[in-house]
Amino acid sequence: MVSDEIVLQIEGLSKVYRSLFAPAGTKAVDSLTLGVRRGETYSIVGPNGSGKTTTLKIVLGLIFPTSGKVNIFGSDVADLAVRERVGFLPEDAYLYDVFTGEELLDFYAGLFGYSRRRRKELVDELLSLVGMQANRRVPFQECSKGMRQRLALAQALVNDPELLILDEPTSGLDPAGRHQMTELIYELKRRGKTILLCSHFLAEVEEVCDRVGIMYRGRLVAEGTLTELAGDPTEIVITASGMSPEGASRVAAHSAVLGVEGDVVRMGHESSDRLWSVLDAVREAGGRVAEVHRPRPTLQDVFVRAIRQDAPERDAGEEVH
Amino acid sequence: MGQLAFGIGLLVAIVVLAITHRLWAPAMGHGGASTWRIAKITVAEARRRRVVQAVVVLVLLILLSMTVFSYLNPREQARMIISGGLSAITVFGILLAIFVAAFLIPQELETRTVYAVLSKPVRRFEFVLGKYLGALIILAAIMTIMTVVLVAVLLVMDHFVPDLTYSTFEPNLANVVFAAVMSYFAVAVLSAYIVLISTVSSTAMTVIASFIIWAIGSLQSQIHDLAAGAETVSTKWFFTMFYWLVPPLENFDFRHEVSNFMQVSYKAGIDAAGVGILYIIVVLLVASVFFNDRQV
Amino acid sequence: MTDRRSRNLTLLLALGLLLMTVPMQESIHQLRPHVFDPERKTRRASAINVGPMPAVIAALGGFRTVAADMLWLRVERDWHGGNWWALPSLLDGVTQLDPHFILAWQVYGWHLAYNLHAEAETKVDKRYYLDGGIRALEGAVDANPDNWEMIFELGWTLFDRAHDMHRAAEYFYRADQFPEAKSYTTRLYYRCFERTLDIPRLVEALEYAKNRHTDPYSPDDVQHQVIVSDNYRFWITDNHLEDRDKHREIIARENTARAQRSVDFYLYPDNPYWDVCPHCGLPSPEGSEFCSAYGHPMKPSSGSSRSPGESRPPAEATSI
Repeated sequence: MVSDEIVLQIEGLSKVYRSLFAPAGTKAVDSLTLGVRRGETYSIVGPNGSGKTTTLKIVLGLIFPTSGKVNIFGSDVADLAVRERVGFLPEDAYLYDVFTGEELLDFYAGLFGYSRRRRKELVDELLSLVGMQANRRVPFQECSKGMRQRLALAQALVNDPELLILDEPTSGLDPAGRHQMTELIYELKRRGKTILLCSHFLAEVEEVCDRVGIMYRGRLVAEGTLTELAGDPTEIVITASGMSPEGASRVAAHSAVLGVEGDVVRMGHESSDRLWSVLDAVREAGGRVAEVHRPRPTLQDVFVRAIRQDAPERDAGEEVH
Repeated sequence: MGQLAFGIGLLVAIVVLAITHRLWAPAMGHGGASTWRIAKITVAEARRRRVVQAVVVLVLLILLSMTVFSYLNPREQARMIISGGLSAITVFGILLAIFVAAFLIPQELETRTVYAVLSKPVRRFEFVLGKYLGALIILAAIMTIMTVVLVAVLLVMDHFVPDLTYSTFEPNLANVVFAAVMSYFAVAVLSAYIVLISTVSSTAMTVIASFIIWAIGSLQSQIHDLAAGAETVSTKWFFTMFYWLVPPLENFDFRHEVSNFMQVSYKAGIDAAGVGILYIIVVLLVASVFFNDRQV
Repeated sequence: MTDRRSRNLTLLLALGLLLMTVPMQESIHQLRPHVFDPERKTRRASAINVGPMPAVIAALGGFRTVAADMLWLRVERDWHGGNWWALPSLLDGVTQLDPHFILAWQVYGWHLAYNLHAEAETKVDKRYYLDGGIRALEGAVDANPDNWEMIFELGWTLFDRAHDMHRAAEYFYRADQFPEAKSYTTRLYYRCFERTLDIPRLVEALEYAKNRHTDPYSPDDVQHQVIVSDNYRFWITDNHLEDRDKHREIIARENTARAQRSVDFYLYPDNPYWDVCPHCGLPSPEGSEFCSAYGHPMKPSSGSSRSPGESRPPAEATSI
């Protein structure tokens, strides 16, 4: 599904906000370079204020870079034709709140110059895609946060975009809402959309994205697939219930086992060829194996690690120039 | 002098349009449709918020309260209703313009509804123009209703107030409608200025600035006097420049002539409309330049 | 973001369009002088008391008419409530706020020159209110040079209250130049000269009056001719016989008679009982030695009444 064609190329992008109080300016984005390939889901993660949203806004031409270039489908972002092929879900999406979902989608579709009939079909299609058919006549201001977010996503899809840019698609949603949204993103991914999303909610990203870029204080501090970022798993964790204390100590004595804490047995990943013998030992100790898994470092760990690596050098040369 | 300025201006405009025709041409695609859709949704939003209804009810009350001065002679009554009614139309038009136009763009920015629109293939200029047209339609609707009510009140009063030999009610309806239309132009010009300010500032600042601009625009003739009476060349230049920058609101103010049953120069009204339309275009062009560079 | 070039071009276009407004704006300045001509506005002097009104007027901007209406309601109230002495300042406010409110100006001038003038107890006070009324009306005429009624009103107050016939005649004449002016303006114009007994000018004025209302069948014209002689008699008997000063009464009678003769002569030039003075062209009773208007010797006493005097243009003498 993922081809090598780069649909979104950001090169040396910097954005300095100047204001009365900080005349020298605050660097929101600092020489950012990244490329998104056709069909992939690329996620920018980073803490609040790391420049994610700024980057997305520059990509959409809502704000203008201090230096650097953004190319979408090989054209400059200032080219209006680019936006015919891009959809955007803004953060904390807020649409005109006196209108119903139906009316809103009709309006946004109209901005692409679609005919009345096409708009009507499109609205039906999108509403059923995001599961808002039943609530199509509810004014936006009466919608729940989850409904609003789904309407906002539908609004980003009116032109059937090739590139979808999602800013914090799941922020502020309850678990059910988050799940629905993640499912929707999966569905879109399945349909072959290229997706650029940004989030500070790491778990969601982990579930859907192919590649991740970690941003911190305006810079891309790490980038790659999840495996690349997280590296290989370092240990195998066996969860077993009912081990007798003496049995447990016997298991702990096994040369491949790193330690036993209650029901959890941890062994080194490098000795994975001896997993079966460890499992035997556990069974002999009276334990019933509930789960065996190889925990990867979560994105959280990767994130913290990347930031820690980055922080000393960043603190030395402060970002205000 | 005036003809020369007109010639130079026309020449500049034609040359610039000729140079830039390639920039404008693609915007004419479904750009016009986007502008119109934005205008329409602006109007629909105002309707849902019941802005119009509230104002109309208020004005009805004011106009009806003006019919109670039955102890005045007929001509005085007519004068009282016409001046009061036209002023009510103007004041409410302008207050509404301030509150509609000042919120048009800043509110979109503050509630971030603008992102979903500007990330579509919509030019910033189309967005500004669409919002402005929306405001114009809302204001036109309200001012039309108010004018119709005023004319109706005058007609009914004309029917019921007994005429005296030396004093008749006899409202000059054509002039009343003319003055109301001119007030609408004033409101339209002021709205354009408000949109211009709102492209560079927040809602609260825009509201404050709008009131100031209204006040300055209403002192247009005083600024003209200052320019005419300036003693040094530099002050004369300063006031003259200032005069051409402020919204020419007094051009559109025919309330005084109409309520005094004076001769009204329709030619002056047509000129004022011409000046007004050109000012609106000028101000919106500047506004779109500002808004193009605005980081939303 | 706009590039520098297209931004500059857009601003240039804006400037070009702004320049295009210049001739239209100048035309507005000419068409609405009462708004845009500083000369017209600075002449609006206050008749009675100058307060902070100019500042207030500037601040009210376009709502002066409504503010004037509010004050006018107070004028109504004070008028009906008998609070006459409060009216001048209120009326001054109304007329400054709305210098085209004709009724307010009329009431202002009339109230000062008639009511308060009559109510005032000392001569100085009377003088003060009469002058105030006339100043108010002068201000009204300055503000409304196109309104014949206002000009007439000033003429009338000068004629009727100040007895300043020369100035009254001036304003009646000015008012009479408006096509919509009523015929009484014309009559009052020559009556100013009757009152001063400026016979040559009276004759000129009558000639003017005849040409002013040319339609021989117009009721105005007929009425006008009748009133000339009728009112005249009324004036002689009624007005001047009240004069307590015997001497002045006699002079008044003589002057009146003299004036009447000239008017009659003017109206009926074929009357055989007149002799025409060869110097001033005015009539005297047949056989007079000296002309009764100016005492010129009527030398060729046998001179025919039909032969006009040297200084009298022949057209005038034979026009009827």
